[in-house]
Amino acid sequence: MSFPTLKIGDVVANTPIIQGGMGVGISLSNLASAVANEGGIGVIAGAMIGMAEPDVGKNPMEANIRAMRKEIRKAKEMTKGVLGVNIMVALTNFADLVKTSLDEKIDVIFSGAGLPMDLPAYLKEYYEEHKEKAHTKLVPIVSSARAAKILCKKWAAKYDYLPDAFVVEGPKAGGHLGFKADQLEDPDFALEKVVSEVIDTVKEFEAKSGKSIPVIAAGGIYSGEDIKKFIDMGAAGVQMGTRFVATDECDADDRFKQAYVDAKKEDVTVIKSPVGLPGRALKNKFVEDSRKGLKKPFKCPFECIHNCAHEQSPYCIAAALLNAKKGNLSRGFAFSGTNVHRIKEIVPVKKLIDSLRNEFVSTTK
Amino acid sequence: MSVEAKVKQIIIEQLGVSEEEVKNEASFVEDLGADSLDLTELIMAMEEEFGVEIDDDDAQKILKVQDAYDYIAKQQ
Repeated sequence: MSFPTLKIGDVVANTPIIQGGMGVGISLSNLASAVANEGGIGVIAGAMIGMAEPDVGKNPMEANIRAMRKEIRKAKEMTKGVLGVNIMVALTNFADLVKTSLDEKIDVIFSGAGLPMDLPAYLKEYYEEHKEKAHTKLVPIVSSARAAKILCKKWAAKYDYLPDAFVVEGPKAGGHLGFKADQLEDPDFALEKVVSEVIDTVKEFEAKSGKSIPVIAAGGIYSGEDIKKFIDMGAAGVQMGTRFVATDECDADDRFKQAYVDAKKEDVTVIKSPVGLPGRALKNKFVEDSRKGLKKPFKCPFECIHNCAHEQSPYCIAAALLNAKKGNLSRGFAFSGTNVHRIKEIVPVKKLIDSLRNEFVSTTK
Repeated sequence: MSVEAKVKQIIIEQLGVSEEEVKNEASFVEDLGADSLDLTELIMAMEEEFGVEIDDDDAQKILKVQDAYDYIAKQQ
């Protein structure tokens, strides 16, 4: 058996792999289009996407919208494949980025870091105004069956709409995590368990509506064997982030990618992010210093995230991630998934996906 | 059952707390241990029970047990 196709409504990916959106600036048009060209779904990360615009300090709102539009257009020029954007609910410019992505006819909007309770409102408004058949698919990222159920119920009641798919992100993922720190090692919250609970939860809504709601597994997925395991469990596909960082096409600086190649198991740590969530990252001097309280509170120019306690924060998370993206790891740090230490080299996206496919096929016997 | 008793029952069921804990001045998060999903479920359960729609701005202001009583009483 070769890879099954991943169908999200009428959007079809021949490779059931979604490249997870990685901010700030790690997955932009270059990586996303490379993944889409290999049949997967390439995802542009929306968080502070406007950081390279010259007026981002003065006019962050417009800079972010402009950059989002630009990146989607650039990606579309480089591929005919399936493209998505990842827009966190916690972003203060959530609505602007969603509207921009709808206007650019993006295939899929992925949205997590909070419950995207009113996401269908934007879709309905846009397509009613433009009198077209809706194209963009809405895919929430959740970390529990409870969250999936809340979204199904709320969207159905308020918008007569159900999610087009769910990404279930487990405790082994990189970056901000939808778990409490003490749940990360608890087997009750293991991805296998949460995925099967979400599959059970959506069944009820699928039966009532006749709409299929594919469930996509994410967080710590590394090999073709892993993909096989989740497909066999009933997942429609997987989302992977960490492995796509170590590719030629990834939009981060080479020094960021090299940090992944060099990482050892003991370098992976969980930080307390200023936005109030745990986040998995690679330990370095910056991380250690901020733990020791050596970083100073800062002036926040953007207010990019709701609930960011920036007056009490030892550093700005957006600036730290952006510095890392640019390769300046002394002034920031890299988010990463649990399995980063297994990465040994930087390869083209095509080679990565081919190897995952081969592993998947050779497991199927 | 009075509105207040119904709301109280929903709080007990949704948050898995005992009746004695549901004091009028109790805060959902601090005293009753609710997280953000609990709060969302609580709001949805009240919407269902009373056939009202509680918009997000209003929901943000329901912090204590008494707030929930007052909100529902006003809607009735």
